[in-house]
Amino acid sequence: MDQAPAKEVTVQQARKCEGEDCGNDAGALQCPTCQKLGKESYFCGQECFKRNWSTHKQLHKSQNSHFNPFPTYNFSGSLRPSYPLSPRRKVPDSIRLPDYASHGIPKSEQVFVGRNRIKILTKQEQDGMRKVCRLAREVLDIAAREAKPGVTTDHIDKVVHDACMERNSYPSPLNYCHFPKSVCTSPNEVICHGIPDQRPLQDGDILNIDVTLYHGGFHGDLNETYYIGKADQDPDSVRVVETARDCLEESIKLVKPGALFRDYGNTIEKVAKAANCGVVKTYCGHGINQLFHCAPNVPHYAKNKAVGEAKPGMCFTIEPMITLGTHKDRTWPDDWTSVTTDGSRTAQFEHTLLVTEDGVEVLTARLADSPGGKVPMPTATNGAATS
Amino acid sequence: MDDEDDAPPMLVSADGTDAVDASLSGEMEDMNVTKVPISIITGYLGAGKSTLLNYILTARHGKKIAVILNEFGNTTSLEQKPLTVSSADSSLATEWLDLANGCICCSVKDAGVNALESLMARRGAFDYILLETTGLADPGNIAPVFWVDEGLGSSIYLDGIVAVVDAGGLGRELDEPVGEEAVEHEGHGGKALSVAHLQISHADVVIVNKADLVSEAQLAAVVARVRAINSLASVRVTTRGRVDALEGSVLDLHAYDRVRREDLDFAAKGHSHLDKAIGTATVRFGVLGEGGMGALDAWLRRVLWESKVPGFEGAVGWEVHRAKGRVRLEGGRVKMLQGVREIFELIDGVDVDGGSGEEEQGGRIVFIGRNISGETAEAFQKSLDTALAGV
Repeated sequence: MDQAPAKEVTVQQARKCEGEDCGNDAGALQCPTCQKLGKESYFCGQECFKRNWSTHKQLHKSQNSHFNPFPTYNFSGSLRPSYPLSPRRKVPDSIRLPDYASHGIPKSEQVFVGRNRIKILTKQEQDGMRKVCRLAREVLDIAAREAKPGVTTDHIDKVVHDACMERNSYPSPLNYCHFPKSVCTSPNEVICHGIPDQRPLQDGDILNIDVTLYHGGFHGDLNETYYIGKADQDPDSVRVVETARDCLEESIKLVKPGALFRDYGNTIEKVAKAANCGVVKTYCGHGINQLFHCAPNVPHYAKNKAVGEAKPGMCFTIEPMITLGTHKDRTWPDDWTSVTTDGSRTAQFEHTLLVTEDGVEVLTARLADSPGGKVPMPTATNGAATS
Repeated sequence: MDDEDDAPPMLVSADGTDAVDASLSGEMEDMNVTKVPISIITGYLGAGKSTLLNYILTARHGKKIAVILNEFGNTTSLEQKPLTVSSADSSLATEWLDLANGCICCSVKDAGVNALESLMARRGAFDYILLETTGLADPGNIAPVFWVDEGLGSSIYLDGIVAVVDAGGLGRELDEPVGEEAVEHEGHGGKALSVAHLQISHADVVIVNKADLVSEAQLAAVVARVRAINSLASVRVTTRGRVDALEGSVLDLHAYDRVRREDLDFAAKGHSHLDKAIGTATVRFGVLGEGGMGALDAWLRRVLWESKVPGFEGAVGWEVHRAKGRVRLEGGRVKMLQGVREIFELIDGVDVDGGSGEEEQGGRIVFIGRNISGETAEAFQKSLDTALAGV
């Protein structure tokens, strides 16, 4: 039995009844007041709920004013948005803004003629990309050091924003197509584009932090997924995170002049399949330079018709999103947060790449002291043993 | 005093039945469902698009057809956002009208694949989807949106493009385009190019409508003109949008998943030069081995992706709109080429003609596009000969 790979099922830990004197598993019944508040408290039954009412109701009062803005939405997993979002963070006049910063529409990206034409950067422009990508790496590392249990993603947003300001850089996501925050934070079943909010990170979460800076007229874009607390002891979390890391690494190995943008997806799907993981198809890698998103389009899935090949001086990202369960995605009513339709966990890694004369330069490469990094698959004896 | 000080309320189901539904539909999504074909209908205002669609919506065909009226314009609003990480702005279909014969008719602003998939998710699957574009839409921009990558596993697939033209008005529309009808005026890169040219050059079927309003001679001239622009497309002559057999003329075209030998035969037979702006180039080559296949793919990448004819750098000012081809491989296998503008794909061919191989010793590719006949066509052939000679 044990040599067979674990069947791909995301087992939700059985909820326990909130009743203090009760050790039963909770069913699907929850306190209506908590539900309205966007909190979850489950009870095994009305009897137990009634017994605990006098103490339980205190929780309603002590709860701060955080709420789920979409209480009737059928969420695919257990994660809920926790509003209100903090007010939009300010950017001083001294910082150079991308065109969308004021009105939210990246007009410069909306070219239609020659939309598949890929820009070749001059040496000077390549230096601009090197600079912003290095700064973006520094900011991601600073943010990652803050990511631990109890810290809200809004706090990470503040840290990212402040670190951008210190580096005389604009946080590219801010107001890009009206995105409200300075960074994307995507925990657990969130594939990408999670909006930093008031939810504290929990021990056992995995969290993707996607940072982009705009500095000196160039964008630099990278992301990594981090283990929060003991998540690195959970075999499924490690499997999805490390597979995503491998997918990016293996696809970067292909990059050199002449490599076809349609080919990376074949490698990514192969690596993902070998680990029994799925590849999200809706979101692709992209060209990046003076524009945040431009040609080429870099699909992460196999069997695509992507136009173009790598040439020295091109900059683009590869950013595979890998899932434990289905590859299918759905977007929350906030119009940004993309989640797996089955609520299973998902992880992503991204680098900004520069094609060189004979290969590739990873402009957002990890530094010697970057937090995160590969972890080994936990052995079965480490807690989550097969039962 | 608030309610909380009273007796506890009744517990409520967290997600209850919804949760069950969600898990079920999740499983359903992963099942390999039959793909629904979509045809794109183009044509000028007044050509008879609406009459044709009305006919389809009311005729007895036993099919459940969704007709999507698309409000977007011809160019900039149609960037294919769903494939970039910046896809946050998808407003979906809003209004629809149910019709007695099982059809529905609705209008969408963003007619991306996602919008249609979610329309189907909410409305149940259809047998067929017809997308009516605005009069001046350039199908070269719309087709790639619905020509979905196989790897995406979409529930829809592009079946083909139908252009409806007005037999009486076409000549004027092609030769003297006014205002937005003109893509490029005479003198810039050759002869005047109109949106009507683009709609015909990208089409898989051209319906020459209002045939009753012109003389026989005029009709013959219009048909000849259409064939000169696009010798790959099939041409149907109709009156008041009445197409006798919908299958094969508007529905079930299989224009993007099949390339039949006879499709190429006609186009390759030599072409009239009735139209100055749009032409046809046919290249021929022998049976290819592994190396030859790689060389052909590399040559196509130069030509279609970079608009260069290797070895003939002087050949400029041309543009490929549609490409179709068949490639014979050693061992008797066939590959089929499909192309729209710079996008192309070589897919495994089912040899639908039986594959005797006698008439089809080698491969052929037909290109239709701007300024592509004559010298450019010769350059294509010579360039490809050189590319394949070394392997």
